Amino acid sequence: MTQMLTFRNVELYYHHVYALKGVSIELNEGETVALIGANGAGKSSILRAITGLRKIRSGEIHYMGRRIDGTSVADIVRKGIAMVPEGRRVFPYMSVKDNLLMGAFTRSDKADIQRTLDSVLHRFPRLKERFGQQAGTLSGGEQQMMVIGRALMAKPRLLLLDEPSLGIAPKLVQDIARAIVAISRDEGVSVLLVEQNSRMALSISDRAYALSTGTVVLSGDSKDLMGDDRIKAAYLGGEL
Amino acid sequence: MEQIIVNGLYLGAQYALIALGLTLIFSLMNVLNFAHGQMYVLGGFVTYTVVAQFGLPFIVGLIASAVVLAVVGAAVEKYLFAPVIRKSKREESTMLLAAGIAFFLDAVILLVFGEKQRGVPKIVNGVLNWDFRIIMPYDRILIGVLAIAMIAGFILFMQYTKAGRAMRALAQDRVAAELMGVDVARYSMLGFALGAMLAGLVGGLLVTITGINLGMGGPTSIKAFMMIMIGGAGVISGAIAGGFILGMMESIGLTVLAAYGDITYLMIFASLMVFLAFRPQGLMGKPWG
Ligand SMILES: Nc1ncnc2c1ncn2[C@@H]1O[C@H](COP(=O)(O)OP(=O)(O)OP(=O)(O)O)[C@@H](O)[C@H]1O
Ligand SMILES: [Mg+2]
Repeated sequence: MTQMLTFRNVELYYHHVYALKGVSIELNEGETVALIGANGAGKSSILRAITGLRKIRSGEIHYMGRRIDGTSVADIVRKGIAMVPEGRRVFPYMSVKDNLLMGAFTRSDKADIQRTLDSVLHRFPRLKERFGQQAGTLSGGEQQMMVIGRALMAKPRLLLLDEPSLGIAPKLVQDIARAIVAISRDEGVSVLLVEQNSRMALSISDRAYALSTGTVVLSGDSKDLMGDDRIKAAYLGGEL
Repeated sequence: MEQIIVNGLYLGAQYALIALGLTLIFSLMNVLNFAHGQMYVLGGFVTYTVVAQFGLPFIVGLIASAVVLAVVGAAVEKYLFAPVIRKSKREESTMLLAAGIAFFLDAVILLVFGEKQRGVPKIVNGVLNWDFRIIMPYDRILIGVLAIAMIAGFILFMQYTKAGRAMRALAQDRVAAELMGVDVARYSMLGFALGAMLAGLVGGLLVTITGINLGMGGPTSIKAFMMIMIGGAGVISGAIAGGFILGMMESIGLTVLAAYGDITYLMIFASLMVFLAFRPQGLMGKPWG
């Protein structure tokens, strides 16, 4: 197994308040790794640190053997990392088509982009039906599929997903979970999945890290964590 | 009647171009560019200099206006607005900066071009007379058609090119656009340059008809802001609607209300205030179309 992404003792601050306090995690090529934890634990901050949306204060981030902290967001995307942000962030007044094309912004081979577009529309047939519709008028579930499709348009090697189940009907959460599994299998992309829905996250990931107030408190194989009493008590209790 | 409509369309096309530049800058950077009218005046003087002083063809003057204003817009964004936006979270900082730039450009124009009214010789002669129902000089028709072609070009650019799509994305969600790999700093500069360029182009177009003088900057900015108040700020369709509505109202006013004295703008301001009381976001009000 080749190591794809490594965090070494990463610290991240918002002004004077820390959000990550010495986080070390890793992700191997082909893996799906879940980050679980309560509100404010620092899950999204990890993704923001990877993409360069937020500068880290100390520590190192390595991707494919290269140090990437300090790289611009655009260059991170070009290196093959695509992110589906928290709250979806569709371009509301653009058509589904234009939203998807924005996902391929860093690519220039038109024929190749068209092939990716076809495969995304094949994967999410709903998007094909809504191709010309303004993204802001899609349902929450459709928007979520669209932003996953938008990220895939970049042809990423690493896909970062921030709470894809947030605000989506339980039935659709199943669909999204299946889509994530299928994507990692078919496209050979590695996935870093942030979820509040720990049961879903653990059921579709290989390994997981549990975070609490900016530190990793537990980690291991997802199926082991699923049976772990501490995880059960802290994260699996009331959900679903 | 036909005459009023044609005059309104002619005026409206110029106004819509001005409003498009202003609304583009607003939607990309959340900056109210109070210097927009001065940029228009500068564009007029550049065309005047190239055509009347250097004796080059009108089209060269127009291109020169576009280039000069694009460069001015890019520089103003990169060296003034971008640093201020980075350092200050307060909206009024960029407003004060824009107002400062307006005064500065006024001073520069006074220094370089003087305070005299300037114009260029007619680019085409003759008058279209359709049965005395529509009487319009050919040069106005040409300028009107050019303005409409530029509006169409702008829309096509925003809708169908990669750069246009990136600017729309940036206006709708900065973070998401950044995550798609859009270089935010570069596209903000590009957008500002494009907005300023549109102002400069209208200045270059109108210098052939109405001429240009230093005093036109402020009033042009006011008209531009009225148009986006009518249409809705930050929306392409709103800027175009606002431009044509203002053009039409002026045209009606100048024909119908002229008998009662110079009350056209009084009426326009009054109706705008009433309209905004009912619909503060303007006709098409939403973040971006
Ligand atoms: N822009 C910001 N400015 C200031 N503090 C922030 C900002 N974003 C996050 N924080 C703080 O940093 C900490 C970690 O936030 P983060 O968004 O990483 O949490 P999270 O685990 O993703 O939570 P959630 O499940 O609610 O999305 C929280 O205490 C949060 O309040
Ligand atoms: Mg979060």
